[in-house]
Amino acid sequence: MRINAIAVAMVLGCGLSIFVMAVGMRASLERTRIQYYSSERMADLAVSLVRAPEQVAVELAAAPGISAMEARIVGYALLDLPGIVEPASARLVSLPRKGRPTVNDLVLSRGRWPDPGLVDEVLVNEAFADALGLSMGSSLEATLHGRRQSLKIVGIANSPEFVFVSAPGELFPQPDRFAVVWMGREALARAYDLEGAFNEAIFRLTAGADPGQAKRFVDAIVQRSGSTGAYGRDRMPSDRFLVEELRQLATMAAFLPAFFLIIAAFLVNVALARIIATERSNIGLLKAFGYSDTAVAWHYAKNALLLGAIGAALGSGAGVWLGQLMASVYRDYYHFPRLDFDAPVWVFAAAWTAAFGSVGVGALAAVLNAARIAPASALAPPKPVAFSGTNGLAGALGRRLDAKSRIILRRIVRFPRRSATTVIGVALAIGLLVVARTFPAVMDRLLDVHFSQTNRQDVTLSFIDAREEAVLHTIESLPGVIYAEPVRIDNVILHHGSHNVEEALIGSWPSARLSRLMGASGDIVAPPAAGVALARALAAKLGVNAGDTIEIEQTRGSRLQMTVRVAAIIDPMVGSSAYMDMDAQARLMREPGQISGANVRLDPAAYAAFNRELKRTPALVGASFLNLAESAMRRSYAEGVGYMNLIYLSFAAIMAGGVAFSAARVTLAEQERDLATLRVLGFTRLEVSYVLVGELAALALFAVPAGCIIGTLLANWLMQLFETDMYSFPYVFNPQGYAFAIAFTLVCVAVAALVVRSSVDRLDMVGVLKARD
Amino acid sequence: MPTFSLRKVGKRYGDGPAAVHALREVDLDVAEGELLVLLGPSGSGKSTLLNILGGLDRGTSGDISFRMTSLTAMPDRELTLYRRRHVGFIFQFYNLIPSLTARENVELVNEIAQDPMPAAEALDLVGLGDRLDHFPAQLSGGEQQRVAVARAIAKRPAVLLCDEPTGALDVNTGIRVLEALVEVSTRFRSTTLLVTHNADVARLGDRVVRFLDGGIRQIEVNARRAAPADLVW
Repeated sequence: MRINAIAVAMVLGCGLSIFVMAVGMRASLERTRIQYYSSERMADLAVSLVRAPEQVAVELAAAPGISAMEARIVGYALLDLPGIVEPASARLVSLPRKGRPTVNDLVLSRGRWPDPGLVDEVLVNEAFADALGLSMGSSLEATLHGRRQSLKIVGIANSPEFVFVSAPGELFPQPDRFAVVWMGREALARAYDLEGAFNEAIFRLTAGADPGQAKRFVDAIVQRSGSTGAYGRDRMPSDRFLVEELRQLATMAAFLPAFFLIIAAFLVNVALARIIATERSNIGLLKAFGYSDTAVAWHYAKNALLLGAIGAALGSGAGVWLGQLMASVYRDYYHFPRLDFDAPVWVFAAAWTAAFGSVGVGALAAVLNAARIAPASALAPPKPVAFSGTNGLAGALGRRLDAKSRIILRRIVRFPRRSATTVIGVALAIGLLVVARTFPAVMDRLLDVHFSQTNRQDVTLSFIDAREEAVLHTIESLPGVIYAEPVRIDNVILHHGSHNVEEALIGSWPSARLSRLMGASGDIVAPPAAGVALARALAAKLGVNAGDTIEIEQTRGSRLQMTVRVAAIIDPMVGSSAYMDMDAQARLMREPGQISGANVRLDPAAYAAFNRELKRTPALVGASFLNLAESAMRRSYAEGVGYMNLIYLSFAAIMAGGVAFSAARVTLAEQERDLATLRVLGFTRLEVSYVLVGELAALALFAVPAGCIIGTLLANWLMQLFETDMYSFPYVFNPQGYAFAIAFTLVCVAVAALVVRSSVDRLDMVGVLKARD
Repeated sequence: MPTFSLRKVGKRYGDGPAAVHALREVDLDVAEGELLVLLGPSGSGKSTLLNILGGLDRGTSGDISFRMTSLTAMPDRELTLYRRRHVGFIFQFYNLIPSLTARENVELVNEIAQDPMPAAEALDLVGLGDRLDHFPAQLSGGEQQRVAVARAIAKRPAVLLCDEPTGALDVNTGIRVLEALVEVSTRFRSTTLLVTHNADVARLGDRVVRFLDGGIRQIEVNARRAAPADLVW
């Protein structure tokens, strides 16, 4: 029964290592986040403005519930980096004229703070500096609001505001393509014509302040400054990603370990029941010598608890190791000054409790049985196992089979709990692998839809301000441009009842060849001729259905507010925006014929020449290169998923192998005498092996459809759980994934079966003739 | 032609002074259709000899042949075929497969036999025609042993090897089992070797081979075989 013990410990270890890793990582991330936010005074509230004079800042600082406030200037710029063909972009954030920011302070990791008197000194975020190998003294050529300026890096910093950094509109972080640049207020004010004014305010609230009330105070003060409305951390991109990550870790911690713990409990039950059956006469002897029922029960319970302890120790150790691995992956995405995997003690306590709980539940029935055995009956030889109850369905079916197959079938029916354990364990292993193999298929589909079908442009250019559509001719005259299409994106606030959501309203061009809108089923969705189409997630946030009307509020200029009918609800895989016919949208915004950017198809031969020209174009605020975005996404996905796949693979192997080993060992122990008898009667090793392995093979075959169903349900469920505002993950059927999951699991079962099968070669034919069952 | 010829057959466990001789230089011929009783106390070597004759074990010296074919150097695979084709076993503890009914236990062996008799017929011969579909757990010890006899004789074996077939049974049940055994072995002219330590059972045989300390002490010929019903123990 050593193999059974190892199987229990390993299965427990797998489950608990996921638990320790996920819960420990979640706790580490949450603690780091809280500490970082607290020490650097992360903003609780923010408001974006078109232009607010300085005295508004004084009023804001004095508003009730506000403990600290920073009025600052923010913007976007194009960067021309030496040695890099494509222009990069940057988020510009002003630093206070004096001292450090009182809200969203920075942690300087290298260098010094910029001299407020020097307009060209800047700090850049650490991820960007590291990705490009920038150091103190390096310079950046930037186009700020159309004006080209040389910036000198004097320091490298991190901010709680930019723990997760990605360029607006990009799906994934590209640290070498997007920078956060902190610079003097005066320099930015000059670039953006905001002398004596600011365009963003960030706030810390006093302890116990009501955020809703604080928002209302702020909104009242800034209503004439072109405000898009104050918002909390739930709309700050970096924190939104972090919160989403924490939610996903909690999901992982909750569902995966539970399966392993249940299977471990079953394995303990089967193994211990077998040990007690084997040692029945010893139990009788012990009791005859005067050992109490409790002492006998404790003797067997100790075995189970020892297995629980070994499993918990394995799980704790492996969990810490996996957690450290995970932390190193997280450090590439989440830029804290320091992020370590440091699971609190309660995580381990919970893991050990779960381990003892699992083996305890598994052992309970068998241990109680040992305690209840009366000494006299334990010393008497056991009766043959009764199979009369198996003559129903199995009997009818069995009559069509040969005798060896009948033995297999009757045993499966006679021991349903054990058979179910094997089927469920193997099915879960298949299910786990189906899930693991569905993720890449979904990702491939998402990348294919986003980069090959929906967006077929090479570059998306974003203008500083809306331009006449005629600007397309200018773009088409740039070197290498084959074809250009208009882009119109307006940031709007959508209102419905008490729901207000800020989102992008994307103008869709019915005859677009480059950027098209695609639904979940993969077909191109034409923008509604009248009204607006909403992504399902957005519609849910607003609580609207097709046919309802909503208010759309412009977030700039004259802040128009229009009533629009919801024409359709659609299911895009990426983004959760609102979509309109482009011309209708421009008219709605009272800017007919104006566009906010362009999608461009390029001649690859002129790629360098196009980029050289782009870097000199003042009217641009961003240029998104789809090839770079796709490769960044694929790279980081491969890194993150690569090792997760390996974990899934090992865990599925342990689950399938452990369950199969355990089942085969118990079957062998129970049937050793019968198998030896068959050998004596003239059955060959192969024929006898069939009886031993056939049971496992039949159960494994039952497990195949069950595993596929479990895997499909789990994959569907997880895809829904992992859905965010940015992505929706439709389940993608991946036949190769299913084939792999089945083949890999069956190979694990086959290896376990063949190892146990070798015992058939060593069966003691002479001993069996003498020994009583 | 004797069914079995044994020449100086020995079985030794271990080497040197600690060696244990389970069998010492046994010479014996067993004629076809003969019922030979191997009698002796525990550890006298009778079961060891039976195991070697059944192809379950090998001697460490001497030669054994079955119908002039040597079993001594026969590879494992051929020994399996030998058991399958020619040998019927009956054990002290029945060794039935608990998950198969009486009929199926017999059919199990029939599946690998050449020209076996139908399972129902074999069970009828041992008086169990009405218990065909009972599982071992539903049968008494004597009934289980009779199923084992039916299983052994269904393939019409050349050799029947019985190791203490009544060892776990009471007198009346034991006699019923022996009656079945004697009847079928006579009917099919199977060469039957019956191991027992019960001296009275020895009266059943054509000859009685008395074992002591690993060797044959004496071979007696019964002038008349007793009927099982006449036995007392």
